[in-house]
Amino acid sequence: MTDALIADAIYDAMGTVLTRWTMGSAAAPAASFWRAELGEDPAEAELRLLALSGQFLGIAVTAEPASTLRILPDIPTLALPTLPEALRPLARRILTAKKLAQGKTELVDFLAARGWTTHPADWMPEGGDDDAPDVYAPWRDWADIAASNNAAWQQTNDHINAGNWDDFWPAARKVALAELRRRDPSAARAVLEAKLGHEGADTRLRLLSLLSERLSDDDIAFLEAIVADDRAPKVKALAASLLARLGHGAGIGEDAAELAGFFSVKTKGILRRSRVIEAERPKTPAQWQCRKALLDGAGLASFAGALGITPQELIAAWDWNVDPAADTALINLIVATGTDAQVADAAKAIGEHDATGLIVALAPRLAPAERARQAEAAMNAHGIRFELTQAMAGPAARLNDPLAAPAGKALLAALRSDDAKPSDQVAELHALGLIASREGARRSLERLTAAGLLQGDPRLDMLRLNAALDDKGAKP
Amino acid sequence: MAIDLKAVEQLATDQSSLKAAASLAKPAKWSGVGGSADGALIWGECAGSGANPYRVMADLRDLGNKCTCPSRKFPCKHVLGLLWLNAEAIVPFAPADTPAWVSDWLGRRRGTSAARPANVAPSGDAKDLRAARALEAEAAEDPKDAARREAQAAKRNEETERAILDALDALEQWIGDQLRLGLAGFIDDATARCRRIAARLVDGKAAVLAGRIDELPSRLLALEAGDRPRGAVVELGKLVLLARAFRATPRDAEIRRAVATSETRETVLADPQALRVDTQWEVLAEQVQTRRDGLVSQTTWLLNLAAAGPRFAMLLDFFPASAGRRGSVFTPGVRFRGELVFYPSQQPLRALLVRRDAAEETLTLEWPAPDEVFSDALTRPLLAEPWTIDIPLLLPQGRFARDDAGHAWWRSGDGTATLPVASNAEGLLCGTDLTRTAAIWSGNRLTILAAQTPWGRIGSHD
Repeated sequence: MTDALIADAIYDAMGTVLTRWTMGSAAAPAASFWRAELGEDPAEAELRLLALSGQFLGIAVTAEPASTLRILPDIPTLALPTLPEALRPLARRILTAKKLAQGKTELVDFLAARGWTTHPADWMPEGGDDDAPDVYAPWRDWADIAASNNAAWQQTNDHINAGNWDDFWPAARKVALAELRRRDPSAARAVLEAKLGHEGADTRLRLLSLLSERLSDDDIAFLEAIVADDRAPKVKALAASLLARLGHGAGIGEDAAELAGFFSVKTKGILRRSRVIEAERPKTPAQWQCRKALLDGAGLASFAGALGITPQELIAAWDWNVDPAADTALINLIVATGTDAQVADAAKAIGEHDATGLIVALAPRLAPAERARQAEAAMNAHGIRFELTQAMAGPAARLNDPLAAPAGKALLAALRSDDAKPSDQVAELHALGLIASREGARRSLERLTAAGLLQGDPRLDMLRLNAALDDKGAKP
Repeated sequence: MAIDLKAVEQLATDQSSLKAAASLAKPAKWSGVGGSADGALIWGECAGSGANPYRVMADLRDLGNKCTCPSRKFPCKHVLGLLWLNAEAIVPFAPADTPAWVSDWLGRRRGTSAARPANVAPSGDAKDLRAARALEAEAAEDPKDAARREAQAAKRNEETERAILDALDALEQWIGDQLRLGLAGFIDDATARCRRIAARLVDGKAAVLAGRIDELPSRLLALEAGDRPRGAVVELGKLVLLARAFRATPRDAEIRRAVATSETRETVLADPQALRVDTQWEVLAEQVQTRRDGLVSQTTWLLNLAAAGPRFAMLLDFFPASAGRRGSVFTPGVRFRGELVFYPSQQPLRALLVRRDAAEETLTLEWPAPDEVFSDALTRPLLAEPWTIDIPLLLPQGRFARDDAGHAWWRSGDGTATLPVASNAEGLLCGTDLTRTAAIWSGNRLTILAAQTPWGRIGSHD
């Protein structure tokens, strides 16, 4: 027999050999081609056959895929560059230290605001990660494709319209639509009019929220149609709130009148008489509940109307910091149903009345630069901590000397105190790293190391990353 | 920030620590020594008794310290040695950026303030620096004593060999029994049966083989159920081959290493025949595994970036699981120039780090191309050592693919080879071309160590 024939014979016999051994019977008789090698002693022959078969099966038999293999498309390059190689270990460490998704999002938002993205080996968004910055949309769609069984990649650089809607994967579609809305609000609305009805409720909700950008009276008819026809209550509610922002809220209904009953408009001062709105203290838990439910469901315009004043007057005359629950409810009311001008009025009023915590609730309606400005003002004037400042400011903040603020002085004092521990102030130092400008981060590092912190201290990671990272983002 | 030797003396737990520290306070034992610019932190890597060096770090403000060695003494001799180096300025502590592993340690420290020196309570035992420094006079050896010792060693060796041969007889008997009882039963009851024969092998001084058999069930269970009879035949067949090889050449160091024990670090270093390779290395990956016999194995895989010499090196250490979790010794992706000495072998792989040079900035060599035809690379090592389980490989250009069940496969760029991958590939690893991949082939599965891609180098856990 030639070598090839022997190999075939061995291969064919292996099935029988394996079966015999599995059952516990002697296998040597099934391997006659190795008779000479196996010898006469039956026990020895089994061991020799084991050695030979093992070597053969280990080398000649390897697993084959049972089905056809699917190769995933390349992970696409993003519009922003990935973090410089030298800074990746630092970013990785921050990502590892932040177990919660929230912490990771903060860093990812920070990088995007400075004009960078993560390396895909360090962090990639999930398909459904709606909080990821828009620049990651191609990776979100890639993750969706990887998770699906057979989907193929389609990438289009066209502007979105009703005709090519289906060429876009969901994340890219949302980004394209947002871009269109900024450029041509009516065209974006027209696309939504044609396509929104075919999407699921959650997607409808997300896409409809894009209309808050450049919202105008042109959108009224479309929004009214959604309020009338949409199947999902939360989509209807969003459309109603967008309408209210345009001054097209519901009229003064019974609810608004009942709500107004919990408040009274009084005048104060003798010479310069000014109005003030006082909350009547509810007397029973049931009344508290009732007021809360009414506030949750009301619109700013109808509430003001029921009190007999304009929304602007309501915001100006509100008695802040007396009834925190009412304050929060009013801010939520303004966020949901106030016009842009009313939101700005509210931000100003909050700042003046030292009710800065409420800015966080108002923040989603403020322009990024305005958010950062409000946060900085609150930090300097009211001594709020860096953590709260960061929550208020969002990723656009670039403070040049945060350590000079009261929060900075408090932080330095805490770090210098006798019972300071190496694990103290982790969150505060991290937040400081997020809100500082590059120059501000450099200066802060100098002052913190002068105060006794080690340069290699991991609590300074975020500051070190910030100080080392070229700021290529659009400045607010 | 300066410390003096008095502090080292106070810190030592006993005289023997101090003495050991004195012998470590020599430049040759250390590499990568540095300190933070403010002088508060110092660190270095010390060549200990293992294949991997130990990472040693200390905070001079409160003499807080950490070492990756498994010693139960705190501080260990390596920390004392580092402090000694610093106190006497035996080597320069060049100011440098704090390495990530030092920062990680700082982040985990808790308790006492970092800003104030802790009070080091003087311990009651008298410790004496001068005594620690004194070199023991080397007693002139009596030729008769030497001859007697040699004779004793030879006798011990013979006894060990006898014990191993007996144990291997028992092993073959056991393997024959498994075939007679049926592999179906063996696969179902593998853990208990392997434990019993492993215990017998430990008694028979075949400790390494015992460890291997203890791990056999987990390798078997990692296979698809339908593939386990084949896997059992391959595993048991390799044991027969190894037993026979030992009988044929019981004094062969390589075979003895696979059956009984490895040579000590000193033996390998003293061996003039041992291959020494001084070149540029890249740290591919570190694998830490807790084994059934209560040991933790720590394996560092290195890639030789030069054209010649063994392509891979494996630094292998064991320590008891009870010593707790150890920090990493190397950072994957790091490149360095250094000298390794390989354990004598037909296919040099296991090695010891002899010397590691200070980091250079210019190590930008590409990964080398695979050295041989791919199919040969899979099988050639088995011609020399048919009992080998893990074969490190440098794969040519390829890409990950998935089957319908979601299992990952590596497929070569020319489509001629498709190999199953041990873990589920996610993220970047399956969304890009792999221009080069370093992996371990275990006969049925590929474990990825690291890969070069258009996105740069990626590790298996990145």
